[in-house]
Amino acid sequence: MFLENVKLALSAIGINKMRSFLTMLGMIIGISSVIAITAIGSSIQGVVNRQFESIGRSAIYFYVNWSMVDDYVPSEALFSVDELQELKKRFEGELVYADPDVYVTSPVRVGNAEKKIRLDGVDAGYENFADVDIIYGRMINENDVKGARPRIVLEVNSARRLFGTENAVGGQVELVIDGEAVDFTVVGVYREKETIFNQISTSDDLYAYIPYSTAPEEADPTLYIYAFLAPDVDVAETALRITDWLAQMKGMPEGYYVYESALEQQNMINDMLGVVSVAIGIIAGISLLVGGIGIMNIMLVSVTERTREIGIRKSLGARTGDILMQFLTESMIISALGGLIGTVLGVGIAAIGMTVAGVGFTMNPLVIVIAVGFSAIVGMFFGIYPARRAAKLDPIEALRYE
Amino acid sequence: MGEIIRLTGVSKTYDTGKIQVQALKPLDLVIEQGEYVAIMGSSGSGKSTLMNILGCLDRPTSGQYLLDGQDVSDKSDNELSLIRNQKIGFVFQSFNLIPRTSALKNVELPMIYARVSSKQREARARELLEKVGLGERLDHMPNEISGGQKQRVAIARALANRPPIIFADEPTGNLDSASSVEIMEIFTRLNREEGTTVVLVTHEPDIAEFADRILTFRDGRVISDVKKKGQTKGEVTA
Repeated sequence: MFLENVKLALSAIGINKMRSFLTMLGMIIGISSVIAITAIGSSIQGVVNRQFESIGRSAIYFYVNWSMVDDYVPSEALFSVDELQELKKRFEGELVYADPDVYVTSPVRVGNAEKKIRLDGVDAGYENFADVDIIYGRMINENDVKGARPRIVLEVNSARRLFGTENAVGGQVELVIDGEAVDFTVVGVYREKETIFNQISTSDDLYAYIPYSTAPEEADPTLYIYAFLAPDVDVAETALRITDWLAQMKGMPEGYYVYESALEQQNMINDMLGVVSVAIGIIAGISLLVGGIGIMNIMLVSVTERTREIGIRKSLGARTGDILMQFLTESMIISALGGLIGTVLGVGIAAIGMTVAGVGFTMNPLVIVIAVGFSAIVGMFFGIYPARRAAKLDPIEALRYE
Repeated sequence: MGEIIRLTGVSKTYDTGKIQVQALKPLDLVIEQGEYVAIMGSSGSGKSTLMNILGCLDRPTSGQYLLDGQDVSDKSDNELSLIRNQKIGFVFQSFNLIPRTSALKNVELPMIYARVSSKQREARARELLEKVGLGERLDHMPNEISGGQKQRVAIARALANRPPIIFADEPTGNLDSASSVEIMEIFTRLNREEGTTVVLVTHEPDIAEFADRILTFRDGRVISDVKKKGQTKGEVTA
């Protein structure tokens, strides 16, 4: 019987192709926008999460609260290397890494070739927290930092461009530190994990890590502390205790130092994406509602047009339930077909969009099942009223209908 | 042969709100199994009302209707559907085939509602269409065949579930005389060869002549009930 109803519905849809398509359009638009938006949303979320993963979820910045600064930051508000050490000692176990966030550009010379290089002054153990993948040699270690030894770890592309080979360990580069040329020994080469940002970036910049203790004078003392918290601590609570302690140690008013953590930023972005998804979901829901009303409307027309057919069927022995199921099946199939087309369209839009943006497109096939199932339910819901009207028709009246 | 139809004091009153119209005055009527009955009368005489009640499309306002020994006076809609499906075959004046549906599928329809398997349905529909001389027209749509052929499809459809009784409401009303005769011959053959009870409504005396018994209606009551072969029942009192 079900199979008969499906066949009947398909032939009824086939007879009025244009009308059926227009009826489906509401569902097509509704479902395709839901699918496209959710797919794009989850892809963006994935990218954001991967990005933060590469920064290190426990990364945190401490810096001066600009709203409490009048004209310029007084020099006593800046942090010295000793204070950094004191901070680390005070919060041992919670604050696992801290460097003065030295980030400077210096000329770099190998042989006769001179280029510019971006230098990141780091503390020992940086590679344990940040996304640094050592492929040759080693990372900056404790002795380098303590002894302010001229050691450098090059990014792999920079190594290739400076030395013509990836494995530049043992090579010498000449940097300019505070106006003086200093020879640095290459002790390691690292590779950055690929992210959406460094894929997009096409700059020719060279990058390297050096011990922060060897960094140029003007970067020390610092305004910023770049740090990592232990993975198991409560970020907000610990960070507040640290900012309070920093203000106290520096004799500054409470709230003079603030922080920004990767985890909290990530949560904020995810929250924002969540709000956008909900808003779009509501709009999509409204379009499905409109689509459903369209289906109800056309089913009512269809019932009226086929009044006589209903009368014939009843005279031949169709029960109320038979007629009800016939029309319910038809509205469900119209709606589910609309949902299916909408899904294909939505997936297509999302796939094209993601490909253009250069982001990997992944999609849960369950979404298709849910979308088609949901549109069938919408069709059923809005088909109930017309189908009941058809089923309740009096056979004599219906047979007389012209 | 037993009784297939027994009406006892069956009447029908339409309540239009302001006035009540008694379309069928209380009627007693017995039709035996295997009879071939024609109901005559002008329009508004109550014959259509009677047909609707006999065909279980409508319920009498009062009285009792036994169809094949079963009281159908106060059955539910779905029970009446089942009775129409199993006990009754309808043939209408305007054929009432489902449009855009092949002859074969039209004949299968009553069997779909009887939950017959699709294989059996098709075999039976084929057999019936061949029987009414449409073996070559199985896949034709109703708009591709003539009126006489449409009515033959309708007869085949009426016979699908092997009902003991066929109701034909002006079956030749939309046909030319040649087709009319062909259709009436099919009914006669069904009655003679298979013992199917045939009740037909007509206002054409020459069509009524095919039947063995002629009931004439006027103003909601039977004014004459004539059995051929010399037997006259005389006037029926209400």
